[in-house]
Amino acid sequence: MRASPLATAGHYAILCLLAVVCVFPFWWTLVTALSTEGNVFAFPPTFWPRSPSLENFAEVFRAIPILAFFKNSVLIAACTVFWKLALCSLAAYPLARMHFRGRKLVFGVILATLVLPSEVNFLVNFITVTKLSLVDTYTGVILPNVVTAVAILLLKQAFEEVPQDLIDAARVDGASEWTIFTRIMLPLIAPWLATVGILTAVEAWNEYIWPSIVMSKPDEFPLSVGVLYLRGTFGSSTRVIAAGTVLTILPTLAVFLFSQRFFMRGMDGAVK
Amino acid sequence: MKIRNLLAASMACVSMAAGLAAAAAPLPPATTANIEFWTFSMKPKFTPYFESVVRNYEAANPGVKIEWIDFPWDVIQTKLVTRIVAGTPPALVNLNVPWADEYARDQLLTPIDALLGPARANYIPGTLQDLTFKGKTYGFPMYSNVAVVAYNTQIFKAAGLSRGPATFDEQLAYARQIAERTGKAGIAPALSKIDGLFMWQGLSVIAGGKAVFNSPQHVALVQKLAATYKAGGLLKESLFAEDNFPAVVDAYKGGRLGMLLAPPTALKRIEADAKDIYAITGVAAAPLGPTGIADGGWLIHFAVPKGVAPALLPAVGKFALYLTGDASQLAFAKLASVFPTTVKAAADPFLLALPANAGAAEKAVAVGAVSMAHSHTLYVAGIDDYDELRRSLVKAVEAGVTGKQDVQQALDQAVAIWNKKLGKQKLAAPGPQR
Amino acid sequence: MKARSTLRGARMQAWIFLAPALTLLAVFSFWPVAYGSLLAFTDYSLVREMSWVGLDNFRYIFDNEMFVTGLKNSLKFLLMVPVVQVGAIALAVLVNNQLPGIAWFRAAFYVPVVTTVSVVGIMWGFMFHEQGTLNYVFMQLRLANAPLGWLTDDTLALFAVMFVTLWRGLGWYMVMYLAALQAIPKDMQEAALLDGANRWQQFWRITVPMLRPTIMVCSILSVLAALKAYQEVDVLTQGGPMNSTFTALYYAYDQGLKHLKLPRALAASLVVSSICIAIALACLRYLKPRHR
Repeated sequence: MRASPLATAGHYAILCLLAVVCVFPFWWTLVTALSTEGNVFAFPPTFWPRSPSLENFAEVFRAIPILAFFKNSVLIAACTVFWKLALCSLAAYPLARMHFRGRKLVFGVILATLVLPSEVNFLVNFITVTKLSLVDTYTGVILPNVVTAVAILLLKQAFEEVPQDLIDAARVDGASEWTIFTRIMLPLIAPWLATVGILTAVEAWNEYIWPSIVMSKPDEFPLSVGVLYLRGTFGSSTRVIAAGTVLTILPTLAVFLFSQRFFMRGMDGAVK
Repeated sequence: MKIRNLLAASMACVSMAAGLAAAAAPLPPATTANIEFWTFSMKPKFTPYFESVVRNYEAANPGVKIEWIDFPWDVIQTKLVTRIVAGTPPALVNLNVPWADEYARDQLLTPIDALLGPARANYIPGTLQDLTFKGKTYGFPMYSNVAVVAYNTQIFKAAGLSRGPATFDEQLAYARQIAERTGKAGIAPALSKIDGLFMWQGLSVIAGGKAVFNSPQHVALVQKLAATYKAGGLLKESLFAEDNFPAVVDAYKGGRLGMLLAPPTALKRIEADAKDIYAITGVAAAPLGPTGIADGGWLIHFAVPKGVAPALLPAVGKFALYLTGDASQLAFAKLASVFPTTVKAAADPFLLALPANAGAAEKAVAVGAVSMAHSHTLYVAGIDDYDELRRSLVKAVEAGVTGKQDVQQALDQAVAIWNKKLGKQKLAAPGPQR
Repeated sequence: MKARSTLRGARMQAWIFLAPALTLLAVFSFWPVAYGSLLAFTDYSLVREMSWVGLDNFRYIFDNEMFVTGLKNSLKFLLMVPVVQVGAIALAVLVNNQLPGIAWFRAAFYVPVVTTVSVVGIMWGFMFHEQGTLNYVFMQLRLANAPLGWLTDDTLALFAVMFVTLWRGLGWYMVMYLAALQAIPKDMQEAALLDGANRWQQFWRITVPMLRPTIMVCSILSVLAALKAYQEVDVLTQGGPMNSTFTALYYAYDQGLKHLKLPRALAASLVVSSICIAIALACLRYLKPRHR
């Protein structure tokens, strides 16, 4: 049933309106970051840069260690992705394809963490992390969040899609579980690993509360925390704050736009 | 497929190595003393100042390494708490007096009487008094402020007034007169800080562990405010807001307000933003209340958190005295348009002398400097979750001042709420109450 | 088929594989629940010996205006759940087609989800400024006569924070619903249309019932998220103005990490956890009979 041109136009109109609401704050921030003249909060507001220049961005680089923030974010994200994929796939494999007593129990326990209100854990985790002397270390930032039930479940599902005969054949051939795991299973679920990897990378990049609790030296902040440090330091220079904000979002935005399907697909798995 | 494996493997190696590196903390060499001190909201304006302080001290004291970290004021508390819990607190931390009061009560600060020693005499006595809780001193005063009265001479002339107000009552009377004769608001007190106002006028907010702000004198004060409000003398915008300062300064800059009670830094801002109003601004000393206290005091100091290694304390003390010594304080005060808290620096000719073509800002500094001796940070000490109580008081005052409720009734209700709360709290020995 | 020793060996291996993940979950997901619940009944502090105080902490927080306001606000956040779900379904329906450029719209709706909350706070801080765009739009549309203090007025601030939470969450649920919509077999829908039903009836009679499981799951997640909201409070208003934007969990964060009053903070978070668990259990019980 083909919709009339009028209906299609109307459809697009609504979509555009909603898209504007979602995207406008980004646009305004970008415009402000690029402007150098005029009152920042003028009535009526400006929707296009005034006297555009990159001066505000230069100021951000001068005033705060934004490159350090960036490097820290990359470090945290990379480590989180690696360890999450490693540990969660290690855990998912037995649940999917190995038979052992207690399998159901373990699965139930992992599911239970989904119900546990984990947000409230930050207080005790804070105490734990200090007792383990992990304050001001990236290990302390990464460790509490590196194993999640969602990742284990997604990867378990991925493993279950690998045909059982492949595994059986390998077992009959005398291969050890470790060999099966590394040589057969992991490569076969590579697309799923990529999906979980990208989702994890973005999540780790965006994490704000926990790193801000664990890290206390500004030079070691990741970007998500550093950008608030920028706002706090530059209270009155809205343009500089806007520039810093743009620099913070750019990487995430780029990764997201190039790999949208991973995000949408990841949700697919979760729904099932 | 092979390339993917290779990429994955290399990423793994890189992140593992990075992870291990990041987890290891570099150990400081055993022979140097490492002193980390924290300030809040000093970057970027005062970066050169603090960097030079660090440089000069390190040059004069080999064997000492100073590290300066600055935080936005809204996160410094969390960072401090994290580090105290972790057992690695900074040696010195910038605090304001209410925060210091709370931390001292929770035993999270180290008393510094021993570190002050004979240098005590250098500081303005009022400032040390502000930092003494239960008989022990907890901070090295750094800078403070005091308010001056800036007034719009044009509005004053139109209202038939010729000089700044000398007392609080006069302030309110002037405000009423200005409203009558010019239709503009006369004054904009920060009524969200009504507790400080009471204390400034010598009326205690709590006494003997109970709330007492419904006494006849308190009621009378609020009634005076109500009368002035009714006459249009009080600026209505943001009168009871948590922070009414931006709105008030805006109103003054726009020529809508007769008198502005503010520290001299505000005058600098007016000079920058509203030259015409600045040109017609006169300055007078802020009235001293019956307590002899000048309004607007807000002491910022350096405290020593709990958990700083006792072996390090003498070095910390030495640095703190340097950081808050006469020369440093004067240099900072000049940069920041605030007031030093050492006797010598506060009396420095720079502050007291008026240049030939002094504008309102310079006059304000001179006027303020004289009032500094009377400056105190006014706040109610010793109560947990004080904000909640203050809020009920402000609500009651708002109802009374705007005429929505009878003043006595409103204050009585608030007193009941306070006493219920206070009865449950195990109050510390009566804190500094002026 | 398999020798006994291999079986035992396999079991050992399974546990070895599981060990690191389970250890971390134990330390960082289960231990906090147990220990935190315990500490909520003590006066744990850095400077004193810990002692049991029973319900004192709970009595304190329920008597404290900040926490009570916080709890009420967290419950007010629940008002958002139907709005978010309906909005997300609507968005999903709007983008569930192959119109040219539809991928861009999907991306646009999802971008708020992948933006870090600190950046969201900064950007919306700009939007909510007294001289900001939102006030401009409102005044142009005659919805307000003077600039509104979105983040400075204690009657408006909570709604501002709730709106930002909504803005951030819509895209996430949209994707969930989109996946569900795309899983609905086309033939059912075609059959209904052939039978003479119009679009509207098709939507309500066929599509919505098939979405039911997803709606249930998303609603529960949404309810739990609403009760646990606190990050947006931290980046937008820090609980102000006048404590009007406190949420229960923000109270825990504030008390625990700014004032080091850990037992109180844990008591507050225990209250939140209990409510969440109660809701989750109730939903599971309600859902079980429907499960095929």
